[in-house]
Amino acid sequence: MSVMSKIKETIICLKAGRVTMPYPAQPQPVPPAFRGRPIFDATKCIGCGGCASNCPAREILVLDLCQEIRIIKYLGRRCAYCGRCADVCPEKAITMSKEFENATNSIGDIGQRLELFMSTCQRCGRCFTEKTPLEQLKMKGYRFDDIQNDRWIFRSRGYLGDEPFTSDIKIEMD
Amino acid sequence: MNDSVIITISIGLANIVMALLLAPFCQGVMRKVTAIIQSRKGPPLWQPYYDLLKLLGKEDIESGDSPVMQRAAVYMSLATVLTIACLIPMGLSAPMNSAGDVMLLIYLLTFSGICTLLGGLAAGSTYSLIGISRQMMIMIMLEPLFTVAIIVGAVHAQSFRLDTVLDGSVYMNRGFPWSGVIMLVIMLLSFQAFVERVPFDISEAETELMEGPLIEYSGPKLAVFKYASMVKLIIYSALLIDIFFPWHGGISMPLQWMLFWLKIFCLVLLAALVAATHARYRIDQAVRFFALLLAVGLAAVVLAGFGY
Amino acid sequence: MLKNLCKKMFGRSLWVYHANSGGCNGCDIEVLNVLTPYYDVERFGIKLVGSPRHADVMLCQGPAMRSTATALLRAYEAMPSPKLVFAIGSCACGGGIWHDTYSVIGPVEKILPVSYYIPGCPPRPEAIIYGVAVALGLAEKKIAPVSSKQPEYEIPMYHPGDPVKGSKG
Repeated sequence: MSVMSKIKETIICLKAGRVTMPYPAQPQPVPPAFRGRPIFDATKCIGCGGCASNCPAREILVLDLCQEIRIIKYLGRRCAYCGRCADVCPEKAITMSKEFENATNSIGDIGQRLELFMSTCQRCGRCFTEKTPLEQLKMKGYRFDDIQNDRWIFRSRGYLGDEPFTSDIKIEMD
Repeated sequence: MNDSVIITISIGLANIVMALLLAPFCQGVMRKVTAIIQSRKGPPLWQPYYDLLKLLGKEDIESGDSPVMQRAAVYMSLATVLTIACLIPMGLSAPMNSAGDVMLLIYLLTFSGICTLLGGLAAGSTYSLIGISRQMMIMIMLEPLFTVAIIVGAVHAQSFRLDTVLDGSVYMNRGFPWSGVIMLVIMLLSFQAFVERVPFDISEAETELMEGPLIEYSGPKLAVFKYASMVKLIIYSALLIDIFFPWHGGISMPLQWMLFWLKIFCLVLLAALVAATHARYRIDQAVRFFALLLAVGLAAVVLAGFGY
Repeated sequence: MLKNLCKKMFGRSLWVYHANSGGCNGCDIEVLNVLTPYYDVERFGIKLVGSPRHADVMLCQGPAMRSTATALLRAYEAMPSPKLVFAIGSCACGGGIWHDTYSVIGPVEKILPVSYYIPGCPPRPEAIIYGVAVALGLAEKKIAPVSSKQPEYEIPMYHPGDPVKGSKG
């Protein structure tokens, strides 16, 4: 217990002054490469669903309401702010903003929902789909999630539509 | 006759009321000084008042092995601390001066420590039992120190009366008071342990994660325990000042009272500085430290007996 | 009258109990950062206590796991009312990246009623202080659900009878 070292320690700490940042009173600058909340831009999105396939927390849900309208819903609950969705998006419609002040008292506040118009083919009047179900299984991003209950659907049925694609063969659904 | 009674009562009340109201403020000063030394902006000075008021408004959960002893420990602790506050002159003369002598004071000081032990025993959880066993070890070493200081004063003043002993008695009479100076050094070294602060707050808040004997208390009972601990800071400071440096010869009344409170704040500041720059001791290191101090204290009593 | 004063003082001195029920400790370190001199949260009167019986707020971190679910519930029931629960980090808010593993039940709200959510992985210390400020009423909530729509438009169909540039007939 040497007194001199304690006195020296006190003088060092007092020289530093008060280093506390006055945070809620003044805004804080963020580092340049900071990844905050992702922002989805509906004007650029083409509805490919690549973000939904790549999300490691499975937070982005995709559902086709009808042939022309596709809904993409981002529930922010489990989002780990990894930035994979922004990396994968071919149109750069997702940006990782610098916002970190996301506290809320109701978890549904963080969600973002996009309603997208998928334009139809001018010749046949249908949206672009693959010919056979096998081809559709290979295509990334074609999904059938349960938006009402905010759930990802794992079943392979999701890759097939509800209506049959060929009229001469009957396909059994599970 | 009426006037003098009223004056006596109001003096006594002013004595205690000041002490009771300022106890959380002294704790607030300690927290703020600790924060300044740690280079941060600390809580506001009135923070302990907010803490106590908030605790009074919370639900009271009675748990642990025996709720009866839990309640009893709380009330006895507050009662003991308030009684001691009535017995010590704090700038003005004590209101219950003639209620007892020095022996009563010594026993009450020990009893206030026992109330914490009872509180921990009522909880019955492992953490509180470890806390009270450590508190018992510390009390065995510590209470004799204060007793020795008071007895040195009593020996010098040749009496056991409260107002004589608590009046700078260690410096009275013949020659250079060697025993007085030795006791002063010993008391300053062990002051931190009496007021239950770092480096010696081994029982309470030590298992710093579990708060030791207070682990099962919640709401108003916790508020009472915390308040008793804050008042203990003032009581021990007042005792130290009264026995060792009263120094009020020749100063008129209101100035003398303010000088007393200034001295109390200096002691609180000293305690805060020591608390902020030290780490907590282990129980065996603390026991060894106090054993050494106790041996020196007993030597001081022998010296006092011989007139030094 | 004393009751009102006590209620008002609740916001000025919150005592916090930290409960990590199976997380990766990233949010633990951010909570520890918040108590350091740089982001000092003690200036709001917030103190870390070791026993749930002394605490007003439980900071939950990490998803609710099968092994720690009962312990978490017991700690919550040991707190005297009025009490709040803050869920810190993506794991506590929604289950996190680990939401479908074998030992995770889900987010903390499957076991306890949560009052405030502070998402992030891990949330910055400023984000945690902002969450506390929102809870105390010192700041406004900045987030709201966003819903956007692409405009629908008529797509002209292609008929084989239409004259096409450069083709015959």
